[in-house]
Amino acid sequence: MLNSRFQFIRSRRLWLLILVFATLASGVLFAQYQRKPPAFGGTYSFPTPAHPEPRSALVHVLDVLMLVAGLALGAWLILKRRSRNGVMMLSIGALAYFGFYRKGCVCPIGAIQNVTLSLVDRHYTISLGVIAFFFLPLAAALLCGRVFCGGVCPIGAAQDLVLLWPKKVPRKLDQALGWMAYTYLGLAVLFAGWGLHLKIGAWQIQTGRRFLICEWDPFIGLFRVSGPFHMLAIGAAFILAGMFIGRPYCRWLCPYGGLLSILSRFSWKNVQITPDKELDCGLCAEACPYGAIHNFRADRASCLACARCYEFCPRALELRGGPGRRDDLVQVKLP
Amino acid sequence: MSERTTRRQFIDRSVRIIGFAGIGGAAGLLIRRASGDPVYQVDPSKCTACDLCRTSCVLSLSAVKAVNDFEKCGYCMLCPAYYDVASQPDEKGIPTGKVCPQDALKRRVVGKVDEDDPNNNYYEYVIDEIQCDGCGKCVKACMPPAGNGSLRLEIRYTRCVECNECAIQIVCPEGAIVRVPAPGLPPTENPGKGEHA
Amino acid sequence: MNPGNKETEEIGLLDRFRKSWFPPVAVVGAFTAFVAAIFRVRPAPKTNPQTTEPAGRPRPPEQSFSIAAPRVELEREYSRSAVLGGSASTHPFRRSLAGVAIGAGDKIYALSDDQVRIFEPNGDFVQGWRVPQNASCLTVGPDGYVYVGTRGHVEIYDAAGGRIGGFAAGEKDEAADITALKIFRKEVLVADAAARLIRRYDSSGRQLGVIGINNKTGSFILPNKWLDFDVNSEGTIRATDTGRHLVTAWALDGSPLGSFGKFGMSNPEDFVGCCNPVNLALTPDGKIVTGEKMVARVKVYEPDGKLLAVIGPENFDPNCIHIHLAVDSRGRILAADPVRRQVSIFSLVAKTGLDKRSSTRGIHPSIDGKRGELERV
Repeated sequence: MLNSRFQFIRSRRLWLLILVFATLASGVLFAQYQRKPPAFGGTYSFPTPAHPEPRSALVHVLDVLMLVAGLALGAWLILKRRSRNGVMMLSIGALAYFGFYRKGCVCPIGAIQNVTLSLVDRHYTISLGVIAFFFLPLAAALLCGRVFCGGVCPIGAAQDLVLLWPKKVPRKLDQALGWMAYTYLGLAVLFAGWGLHLKIGAWQIQTGRRFLICEWDPFIGLFRVSGPFHMLAIGAAFILAGMFIGRPYCRWLCPYGGLLSILSRFSWKNVQITPDKELDCGLCAEACPYGAIHNFRADRASCLACARCYEFCPRALELRGGPGRRDDLVQVKLP
Repeated sequence: MSERTTRRQFIDRSVRIIGFAGIGGAAGLLIRRASGDPVYQVDPSKCTACDLCRTSCVLSLSAVKAVNDFEKCGYCMLCPAYYDVASQPDEKGIPTGKVCPQDALKRRVVGKVDEDDPNNNYYEYVIDEIQCDGCGKCVKACMPPAGNGSLRLEIRYTRCVECNECAIQIVCPEGAIVRVPAPGLPPTENPGKGEHA
Repeated sequence: MNPGNKETEEIGLLDRFRKSWFPPVAVVGAFTAFVAAIFRVRPAPKTNPQTTEPAGRPRPPEQSFSIAAPRVELEREYSRSAVLGGSASTHPFRRSLAGVAIGAGDKIYALSDDQVRIFEPNGDFVQGWRVPQNASCLTVGPDGYVYVGTRGHVEIYDAAGGRIGGFAAGEKDEAADITALKIFRKEVLVADAAARLIRRYDSSGRQLGVIGINNKTGSFILPNKWLDFDVNSEGTIRATDTGRHLVTAWALDGSPLGSFGKFGMSNPEDFVGCCNPVNLALTPDGKIVTGEKMVARVKVYEPDGKLLAVIGPENFDPNCIHIHLAVDSRGRILAADPVRRQVSIFSLVAKTGLDKRSSTRGIHPSIDGKRGELERV
């Protein structure tokens, strides 16, 4: 024990030495500002030019670590622990960190554009963090389904947490609206990689490369608590709609959600509503606010992994040993 | 029935393998091209101080501010970025109008001070970043031939939220907002093309 | 009443509509149209046409400092008689024009494109030779030797262009920023903008003295880091003090002999902007020629400060930060415009009465009347 404490002190001195060296080295680097000023007489030296640094790379490393932790924790909570409370806590945490602290930027939805542009243009610099943000949730979807949507995405969390009076959306309409997401994805990729160059007769559109998703993100104004009026209005409209309709952006507009839903269909493990056997009672379908339960099974493509259905399953209640939190809403007749 | 699950499982498995291979391949390709954490900065050789920086930033008080390069600054008594040299002079001959609408350019005498003749002194000009809104009037006034071109507009990372796509970059008519590697120093002009024009 | 026969049941029009392909296509189409409409309304970013300007800061748009000058009676008038080295000539100045000087026989020496180029007074090219890069000024001695100033060094060339010597100028710890050179008798006078002084050297490089130390705060105030001067045949030096808007006079031993000038934007006698006059030359009849930036113009003064002539900004590029000056033995003023890279030659015009309407335009024969390579203006 004593040995280890001594070692700790020694390494502290080493760190101090490294710090001193680093300061001296940076002093040499800033030697460009040490040129003599004109001889004003008296005492004068150039004011040290304050060049505030952007956020250090460590923050981006932390972001990726938090993403990985969130995905892992989400997968565990949704697939193993099967707890709605856990998922809700995780999504609150994700909203706090990725949403309000990091102001929702960079996010995987926006990363679609960065990746597109980087594939199209060799000279566009992309950072490792953005690559991680794009590919990790896709890999997680292939493994565990849409755990990103369920526990980590701050936009999803914002809508999920305000969903108080969910209304059902007719299935055909739901499917039809779902195509908007792919249209948006196509437009976002087109604008990010190439821009729009159309000429029809005398009418012409020429835009440069634009990041559509970043410019029209409804929730960024909420996270930054500032922005142009139309963006704040659209964000407020989505939040208001989200109180009655479950996660409208996630289901019908999110381009990344479109990608995740495709991959989630083939995932290795996915949401299984009952812990063991299906009762085909349909109580879960009543509980799901997103219409993601078809034929008494979770539809892998549209299930957003919110874990609400677990609370309503009679098998889960039975295995938990009796009535759970929701027993006031569920009348269960056990065979 | 079991045949169908096997085929379904086969499809699932093969799509998973292709999916992981695709993700791995694309990620690998991009990781080879990845470099640093680029940030947005103003390129002073292209900027014309057109005032769009002030209004286009997503923040209400723009992240772009004027900065003085003290090596280039002439420390003039009659700084054309401080005084509006075309305005009416007072009885001592010093112009009465000021260029900065926010009064963010602060002036103080430095070095050995000659009290009797203000012309005989050097003056230091520093931007007050709390007041400056990035309009660029001082930058335009300091451009050669009127001045030395020491004032420039710069994105200050104390304010910049580092958007994925800079809103000012979209509207800048000269394409002066560029992505540079961290720590975000502005691209320097050609050395050697200095005063000896 | 057969619940299983859904297919044969009468399906209402609304049901058929709802079940058809129409709603998804309509939704997709409406969404696309909405997005397209938004983008048609948005202004597209302007693309800047490629300019052929040399690299550097783009021109500030319409930086016009038009001064409402009161019409003053001026004694002299100059008009542009010729242009040297412009794009139409056979020896154009391609990349740079850093200085101009007059040698024996009124030959014109120009420092351009890292070369010294010598022209006859009518513009015929004589010879040229390379000098170190970023040479900033040149002068010609009475012996025909050419002195070229670079950072911290003066290089000396003979009349044929061979380097015959040179010396280091400046302090030990700070090389001189040589912005002007003049020869007086056997001395080489070097304007050091870094130390803000004029240094006197002999031809071997030994410093004999400094000029310019005078006032309470030290020496010349040079916010634009450029010091220009000229010396007349008696040894009186006239130097620019740009920060104080003065033309100062000094004796060779460093004692000050007076000054004139002040800041002003309206009176043409005053110097505009923050740091003017930037360039200076002396005429053989003792008048002082000054060059200014911001309002690019050349003025001629009496030694006591009385304004004699103004060569207006229409002759120069508004983006000039210098107008290098030289005066030949006939009193023609040579003004080097570094942005347009041409040397304009201005001759005195015989004044006929008080009518001075636009006599700077139009064609006037030069005083020597010879034809040559000079562009007729």
